[in-house]
Amino acid sequence: MDEIKRTLEGKVIVITGGGTGLGRSMAFRLAEEGANIVVAARRLAPLEETVDGVRQRGSQALAVPTDVTDPTQVKALIEKTLAEMGRIDILINNAGIVRGERPKALWDISDEEWHTGIEVNLCSAFYCSRAVSKYFAERQEGKIILVASGEGFRGQRNSFMYNTAKAGVVNLTRVLALTLAEFNVRVNCIVPGFVDTYENQPEDYQKIMAERRKTRKLFVPVGHSGKPDDIGFVALYLCSDASEYVTGGCFISDGGGLAGGFATTGYAPEVSLKEGLA
Amino acid sequence: MTAKAFLLKDKKALIAGENKFWTKPVAEALAAAGADVALAAKNNSRLEEAASAVGKTGRKALPLSVDVTSSTQVKKAVQQVLKEFGRIDILVNTGDIPFFQPFLKIKGGDWNKVFNYNFLSTLNFCRAVGRPMLKQKKGRIINIVSGLGERGMANGSAYCVATGAVQQLTRALALEWATKGITVNAIGTGWFAEPGQTVDSSLTRYIPGKRYGRPEEIGSLAVYLASDVTEFTTGQIMYVDGGLMAHA
Repeated sequence: MDEIKRTLEGKVIVITGGGTGLGRSMAFRLAEEGANIVVAARRLAPLEETVDGVRQRGSQALAVPTDVTDPTQVKALIEKTLAEMGRIDILINNAGIVRGERPKALWDISDEEWHTGIEVNLCSAFYCSRAVSKYFAERQEGKIILVASGEGFRGQRNSFMYNTAKAGVVNLTRVLALTLAEFNVRVNCIVPGFVDTYENQPEDYQKIMAERRKTRKLFVPVGHSGKPDDIGFVALYLCSDASEYVTGGCFISDGGGLAGGFATTGYAPEVSLKEGLA
Repeated sequence: MTAKAFLLKDKKALIAGENKFWTKPVAEALAAAGADVALAAKNNSRLEEAASAVGKTGRKALPLSVDVTSSTQVKKAVQQVLKEFGRIDILVNTGDIPFFQPFLKIKGGDWNKVFNYNFLSTLNFCRAVGRPMLKQKKGRIINIVSGLGERGMANGSAYCVATGAVQQLTRALALEWATKGITVNAIGTGWFAEPGQTVDSSLTRYIPGKRYGRPEEIGSLAVYLASDVTEFTTGQIMYVDGGLMAHA
């Protein structure tokens, strides 16, 4: 096995929001396949933990504290990555506010909260993709991966910024894919459902998620939440050469959630033809 | 009262297909908006009720006993409507027989029957009415479908596939006839029940509107889609579902 070259050997992958949650688990999965990882998020401490984990897996790693809602800092992230790592092969726009906060009444949502929610969950992906696009286009090679959510395809009570922004991410994927296709740049979207990522999250968030976990599984057709690697392997597919001809697509890994949505999970009526025709 | 813009004065409609809910409320709504209504289905009490509801509005009713799964009988029925009414402006396909069984328990013959009632009947009527509508360079085809054409549900394989087929037929025909004056749209339905019918309380809670729909609630959308104001609207599936399809 050792003789086989790992599939992402030598590739440089930038992951935003790489300090926690799905970002960290994707970083580890991709590092195990040989990729060198650059993680960018606001807080340095979690980034450094991810960097340690990546290095333990035998890959190079770099932490770049970045507020991805600030285009100037995003530009600096790309420049620093190129200066230190020499190249960028793949950008994964993973940063986002996971919905840890308690929902507020619509009339209590401030302008600032609305803007922040859209900035973090949607604008950041645009800023990062824009910042790397010219480099990718000139190089005639590159991959951009966005991370949306099942919520981007459906509505949910009180979830204004998250659901709206994630729907935006889905269509941003398509527009980027069509725009960059002629430059041989591939753009795709990962769509997670409920994934348990709370182990490496702040404590108050862990508590909320532990509560939610019990009820959430009621809404997942396969009967349980996803594990981080359920998304890590989607990222691996989209980062690898296996997806060379794939662009503009949404890759859903959600335990069947989006396949349903007409009745409560597990609802399975029985009506015979005789009854139906009666 | 139907808004003036949506009136169907002297238009000729044909409502076709076997279903539990739709024939009477749609017939009533189209007739109240001013249309004469032909009805094609198995000769049963529901057909008679629908015909008498049309009669009460003062419009003409033409109930026809037809095996909607037989293309020969459907062709004959359409000829008869053309003979009596002179034209067909509006075709509403209502084929919707509920059938829910575990996949491996469904017999081959049941698959055929569900397909025949819920898809083939629509196909038969679109084929038979398509030519006269193309000739008159105007027509409205409205298919009644279920959200289960887009969403899955356990035990729903046959039903989901058949209503999904009608959804795609709606989109494909809409494009094929987009420049021919014929619009093809669908009314998407969620959970419906007649007054007094037993309903599932878990589903009532699941529906954002917190209740099942009443069959007559699709009538006004049928009138709107049948009216002259929708000539630029085609290939769409419009839901009457209490918000069901909007949420997870």
